[in-house]
Amino acid sequence: MDRIGETMEEMYVNMGPQHPSTHGVLRLLLKLDGEYITDCVPYVGYLHRCHEKIGENRTYTQIIPYTDRLDYLASMSMNFGYVLTVERLMGLKVPERAEYMRVILAELQRIASHLIWLGTFGLDLGNFTIFIYCFREREMILDLFEAVSGQRLNYSFYRIGGMPMDFTENWVADCQSFLAWFKQKLPEYDALMGDNVLFQKRVQGIGVIAPEMAVDYGLSGPMIRSCGIRWDLRRNDPYSIYDRFEFEIPVYEGRDVWARYLVRRREMAESARIVEHALAQLPAGDIMAKVPKSIKPPAGQIYCRTESPRGELGFYLISDGSTKPYRYKVRSPAFVNLSAVPEMLKGCLVADVVAVLGSVDIVLGEVDR
Amino acid sequence: MKPEELLEQLKQKFGDAITEGEVKGAEVCLTAAPGASWEVCRFLRDAGFEYLNCLSGADWISRLEVVYDISSLRHSTKVHLRVSLGRENPSVRSVTDIWRAANWHERECYDLFGVRFEGHPDHRRILLPEDWVGFPLRKDYRDERMVPYTDYGMEEKAPKAEGEKAAPKAAAAPKPPSASGAAGS
Repeated sequence: MDRIGETMEEMYVNMGPQHPSTHGVLRLLLKLDGEYITDCVPYVGYLHRCHEKIGENRTYTQIIPYTDRLDYLASMSMNFGYVLTVERLMGLKVPERAEYMRVILAELQRIASHLIWLGTFGLDLGNFTIFIYCFREREMILDLFEAVSGQRLNYSFYRIGGMPMDFTENWVADCQSFLAWFKQKLPEYDALMGDNVLFQKRVQGIGVIAPEMAVDYGLSGPMIRSCGIRWDLRRNDPYSIYDRFEFEIPVYEGRDVWARYLVRRREMAESARIVEHALAQLPAGDIMAKVPKSIKPPAGQIYCRTESPRGELGFYLISDGSTKPYRYKVRSPAFVNLSAVPEMLKGCLVADVVAVLGSVDIVLGEVDR
Repeated sequence: MKPEELLEQLKQKFGDAITEGEVKGAEVCLTAAPGASWEVCRFLRDAGFEYLNCLSGADWISRLEVVYDISSLRHSTKVHLRVSLGRENPSVRSVTDIWRAANWHERECYDLFGVRFEGHPDHRRILLPEDWVGFPLRKDYRDERMVPYTDYGMEEKAPKAEGEKAAPKAAAAPKPPSASGAAGS
């Protein structure tokens, strides 16, 4: 940081929009003082399709497939947040079994999403092996999703009022055997990444953000939990049936990229625990509530938030009593988390940009909407 | 802080500037006059509402609205604050100096609704290109490139006058495969 005051020639460097470590099309304009970053301006919007305008022109049910395309690495969680918002607006009660199915799928999705993060993060830092390991386990989760929904990436599997199809035969047993396998594999990730001194030295102490600043910027999910703040909507503002499960919320004080790695690494184990509990308690019964054929929530408005793998996913809906929402807004966690990146990058080395950006876990489909 | 208590305090402090206020569960729904919105936000921030969840807009045709969803990490009370603005030259004081999170949210609101945020440090479009004309989320926004959405398969069921039947179908017929294909990829 001492160097910044010195008079050196300032230089601007463009990173992206076409760059492998921006995880999509994101442009960062970096202002450099030698090797140090003095300022950074992110340019977003390359994937913008005015998701919200599209939403205003579709019926409530028709929006579900569009929510898949928000965060395409966690489609189940996006579906979940959206249908929950509409259900709250309508005052719908979802059958017990459907609630369990939702939690099971959303938590498996969280594991899959974190696996992608871990794999690509390793890739960003030059560790190719972890990428292959993570994709091996993610593949198994995708197989489970394919068995139940018929899709591998954009599931559109949640419905307003419940779930469209029950688990297939043997699905529960398959899922349990996957969890048993997955638990054995978790230490392998430590061996490849976390226990590696080179990796630790590479990520410790970079991308630091103070806890007060994190709250001020509205960070959420693993980003805020890596600042030592115990904040998880599954626990702090429980929705669905999350209050029935025992799980820990991993919190680390480090505030840096290393702490974010630790949070996500432990979250995978906790999500596996939730799925295990839910599978054990899974009740029999209906999976779909009685829902009118055309969905017309009463006039009113609602802001409903859920914990997606990236943080607080909020949907803001205004209904005028018709079949289409009057206003449909998505508060995407990655958009807000990305807005704090300039703060984290100040004083970092150019070589650390990739690591810091990777640790935020952005998905541009959700940032640009 | 209890939602009822908070509403009482706000009403005492701001009087007529709070035009509507009610408690819905853990949420306080407020409508504030545009002139007082910054002061209300400042007060809320000082009262422990340190987390700005979301800032968005809405177009009510006769007026525009900016909506703030504010909460705290320490208690469950939430605030849903709405500020009505005129349609011509809508502007409101920026809250970026209260919550940094507002920075990008306000830029997005400006981008899509055309609301000006006075005192914003970086008042530019964010999602759309800088030379874009118009504000897409306004209800009267029109663009000749926008393809109206048709429920294919539904149009046969819609009652139509005899003479009209053939014409719209012939016009719409070549569109569906290419249009939906392009949107999906």
